[in-house]
Amino acid sequence: MTESEPAAGGVLPPAVEATGLVKSFGGVRALAGADFAAAAGEVHALVGENGAGKSTLIKILGGRLRPDAGSVRFGGEAIELHGPDQAHLRGAWTVFQELTLLPWMTVAENLLLRHEPRGALGFIHRRRLSRDADAALERLGIRHIDPDALVEDIALAERQIVEIARVVIKNPDILLLDEPTSSLGEHEVAWLFDLIRGLRARGKCVVFTSHRWNEIASIADRITIFRNGADVGTYRGIEESEAVTLMTGQRLDTLFPPLPPLAAATPMLEARDLAGQGIDEVGFTLHRGEILGVGGLTGHGHRELFLTLFGAQRAGRGTIRAGGKALRLRGPRDAIRAGLGIALVPEDRKTEGLLLPMAVRDNLTLAILDRISRLGVVRAGREREMTRQIAQALQIKAPSLLHPAGGLSGGNQQKVLVGRWLLAESRILLLYDVTRGVDIATKHEIYQLMLRLVDEGRAILFYSSDAEELAHLCHRVLVMREGRIAASLARPALSAEAIVAAAVREPLVA
Amino acid sequence: MARGSSALARLRLGRDRRRTLYALAAAAMLFVLGEIVHPGFASLDSLEAVLTVASFVGLVAAGQTFVVLIGGIDLSVPWILNGAAILLVTSSLGQNERAPYAVALTLAMGAGVGMLNGLGVAFLDVPAVVITLAMNGIMEGLTLGLSGGLTCQACASYAPPIVQQAVHRQILGAPAELYLWLAVIIIVSFVLGRTRFGRHTYAIGNNLRASYLAGISVRFTTVMLYALSGLFSALAGILLVGFGGQASLGMGAPYLFQSIAAVVIGGVYILGGRGSYIGAAAGAASLTALVSVLLAMNMPDYGRSIIYGVVILVLLLLYGREESER
Amino acid sequence: MSPELAAPRRRRSLSVHIVGQNAGLLLVFAMLAAAVALYCLFYWMQQRSFPGNFELTSTVDNTMPLAMAAIGQTIVVLTRGLDLSVGGIIDLTNALAAVHMQDSLGSMLGWTVLVLLAGAALGFLNGLLVGVGRLQPIVVTLATLSIFQGLAIRVLPQPGGAIPPGYTALLVNMNQPWALLYLVLCAGLWLAFRRSAIGVAIIAVGNDEAAARANGINVVRSRVIAYTLSGVFAAAAGLFLAATATAGDATSGNGFTLSSIVAVVLGGVNLFGGRGSAIGAMAGGFVTTMIVNILFFSRIDPLYQSFYEGLFLIIAVVVGGGIGRMLRRRR
Repeated sequence: MTESEPAAGGVLPPAVEATGLVKSFGGVRALAGADFAAAAGEVHALVGENGAGKSTLIKILGGRLRPDAGSVRFGGEAIELHGPDQAHLRGAWTVFQELTLLPWMTVAENLLLRHEPRGALGFIHRRRLSRDADAALERLGIRHIDPDALVEDIALAERQIVEIARVVIKNPDILLLDEPTSSLGEHEVAWLFDLIRGLRARGKCVVFTSHRWNEIASIADRITIFRNGADVGTYRGIEESEAVTLMTGQRLDTLFPPLPPLAAATPMLEARDLAGQGIDEVGFTLHRGEILGVGGLTGHGHRELFLTLFGAQRAGRGTIRAGGKALRLRGPRDAIRAGLGIALVPEDRKTEGLLLPMAVRDNLTLAILDRISRLGVVRAGREREMTRQIAQALQIKAPSLLHPAGGLSGGNQQKVLVGRWLLAESRILLLYDVTRGVDIATKHEIYQLMLRLVDEGRAILFYSSDAEELAHLCHRVLVMREGRIAASLARPALSAEAIVAAAVREPLVA
Repeated sequence: MARGSSALARLRLGRDRRRTLYALAAAAMLFVLGEIVHPGFASLDSLEAVLTVASFVGLVAAGQTFVVLIGGIDLSVPWILNGAAILLVTSSLGQNERAPYAVALTLAMGAGVGMLNGLGVAFLDVPAVVITLAMNGIMEGLTLGLSGGLTCQACASYAPPIVQQAVHRQILGAPAELYLWLAVIIIVSFVLGRTRFGRHTYAIGNNLRASYLAGISVRFTTVMLYALSGLFSALAGILLVGFGGQASLGMGAPYLFQSIAAVVIGGVYILGGRGSYIGAAAGAASLTALVSVLLAMNMPDYGRSIIYGVVILVLLLLYGREESER
Repeated sequence: MSPELAAPRRRRSLSVHIVGQNAGLLLVFAMLAAAVALYCLFYWMQQRSFPGNFELTSTVDNTMPLAMAAIGQTIVVLTRGLDLSVGGIIDLTNALAAVHMQDSLGSMLGWTVLVLLAGAALGFLNGLLVGVGRLQPIVVTLATLSIFQGLAIRVLPQPGGAIPPGYTALLVNMNQPWALLYLVLCAGLWLAFRRSAIGVAIIAVGNDEAAARANGINVVRSRVIAYTLSGVFAAAAGLFLAATATAGDATSGNGFTLSSIVAVVLGGVNLFGGRGSAIGAMAGGFVTTMIVNILFFSRIDPLYQSFYEGLFLIIAVVVGGGIGRMLRRRR
């Protein structure tokens, strides 16, 4: 294990280098003086918690964001990037985490966007566009994606492949990949890694981020660890446990609070043979006091399952029972009002959960206005009382309950959402990737809150994109693949590796 | 939790009120300007006259506020209003004893047509622009067709005297119409500010998906809001016949543009979620004051139209700057 | 040597893609065909003969302004915007042409260019306010609509002026459907636009603004150009309107704001941006004209005309949306 060695070679400057990067969004500091350097001919992994600043760094290197302070160099030359085009001119191309494909254009149009083959008069040659795209995909060994299909009509994993492919065909000298594998299966990851090795062999520089340790270990030459918006160090070969300690500032075993064993098995939520858009033959039982994890690759039916259980998506077949009673869910309203009360805390609290410009108070009582109104008029006193109590119980830090929810920190926003459902007296909580983009201290707080909630007799169905989190925090974990439950893991067989292994295994029939 | 509120909270809470103040200040300035170019313009009588004209815009703007708050728009105002005016005179035949029935029928028609708009938006997923545009055509065709192009015998009837009095009668030195408008301002502000329905409206306007996932009946609320918009258009139609005595073709046309302008000037965000009816009412007042001043200056039609547009653009740019300062 | 994704090859024939991806376009042409058939039927019932050259010519001539306005509206709608000032630009350009154009080739050509440039300038103003000023298109163009309408009346206070007969003959020959040539020209322009960098950029912005920006597309510039083009086509509509009327009227364009939106919607252009074709919108314009013709020959009281138009718009949008969804699911 060697310590950081920026430009240690001395002869050649690093292919890409960043010094003292600072970037803030609103009041939140995403990067606080981060340094980074990667050399030509190496595969360099960036690791860190969600919100550690990896994505922001990649966006700055790719020219998509401009830093508040600090500088970026390509091949030793300092460059101020005003847009992706300038990065492209320096041979730096990025595969962004949030896909940047245009949904209502074809795969071919996306693949060659702004680099389309031109006909005699300078206009795009549509037939050649399609042919060129086909040939480019073929060259990369991609044969199952139809270049004439609309991006909207292909699967998420296929979109991720197209996103990668369209950058790779630009022959980048520096390839920046932000979580390129989040929805890829085993074979697809192997394909990508073959590509990356090929680039390395040709002396290119590849920088990538990933949450899966075994992937990082298998391909990265060097690893730079990020924490709280700055680099902690660059390493060549490091053990996972050590890396996690560096990433989180805590030891792995103290990050997660101990999970109390499950007492009596009282079923609270049961699904039998549930099928619908994106899911099929899903069945499970969630017990009182249990945290049941749901894991797997992105785009394999988790979102659909959670929405179906919450009534926000129609079930085509199967039954959902809460507290032994069969439910007929025509909308979230029915789920919220069902006997035990089902609640969904969605992944993207900003677009699906909170009303950012509205007051914390309004957000807290949104689901219970019926109960605190008389003749349709909201009873202000009762509302004030209830929101004050819940804010105290959850230790929501806000200047005032009339403060807009958008002004709160990520963790406190999450608490407001949980508070909404506690006020609604929901006993079955569906938590969907609630720790994403939340700092480590808040994460810890959320974990403890979850344990308190189940301890009080509630039950939690918990989807997370972080397998480590699932392995430590759940009594059992269901792994979904292609909309079905591919494996159900319980202790002692439960581990992050087992979850990932079950998730990426290819289906038996293609 | 700290007591009191931070600067940010104050800024946000203050913004709606500040825009209402802008609009009112603009109206006041316009009266001063009017007094300068045309002495006597700022007299009480003239103020009363301007506010009365503004009240009709203001009533339509109430409906428009409801739908704009959820990011919608109601383009069916002109012919719901016109249809309502004609329906009132033809069903009442100018007789006081038929008036209550005629008013109820007319309001129900407005609410019903608005409800159809809402059903189209909420259940058929037709964009608000399209469905309300189509509905305007439908109402135009029905109004023209059923009244034979306003040639029917009953079409020449006057508004029943009660209805005319409801507009004109002086109470404590002001026309009844202004009290009516004041009542509407109070009721609408109360509904938006203090009731569950109002809270749902703002929630949907801010974030439809999140509101749905919080168990709000988005569809029901949407249908109700469009119904309210239709209702207010019809109410404005009734009062306008009361004001002028008779119905005419095309009397609704100016109210589409003016109601949207009033809402925008009053600081209601066109994509929904923010703004108040007091703002829109102040917008209606300043808009009417502007027109009156321009008239007093003998500004020709075209000049008014141009200045109208420029004023809206200037205010938009002003508000836009405020927006980005946040 | 190169890695391989061991997955079966999946290709659909081009025809399947074309049908699926252009459902809106196919639908509007189906509507147009049905409307023409219905029109012929009613015509025959009344006249015991089929419509001929005169009917075709007058239909085409009457629809040209709307077809032009619809093209401009399409380009703006593709960016996820809306141009309510179309009617005002038509008013103003129509008035300008009627006031200034003289009966000489030089004047006709010169004023054609000037009027189109005026349209471009008006559209550019909209584009600046929406693109650079980051203001909402609906309110911006509502305000500029009022300004443009005012200017139009300033230019031509009373209906009048005169369009030289030669110009009318040039744009809309009243005896032969020569104006069809302009339609073909516009269709060709659209196909070229769709295959140009700026066309792709405009559609990309309507697809997903953030993604377009991440791909290095200049969003502001694309918006400004879209509104400018809308202004140019609205000006062309103003010229055609003046040519058919052989005189000017500073209020005759007002109706085109809404009817251009109707044409765009019927033409299968998605009001939320990113999808649609100007050819469809032109066809949508013809469908609206045909509806009027059908209503005329089916002896329906003309007072009810707007009623049927509105009803038809709702039905077309709802049924069209339903068929589109069905086609998607089928694939």
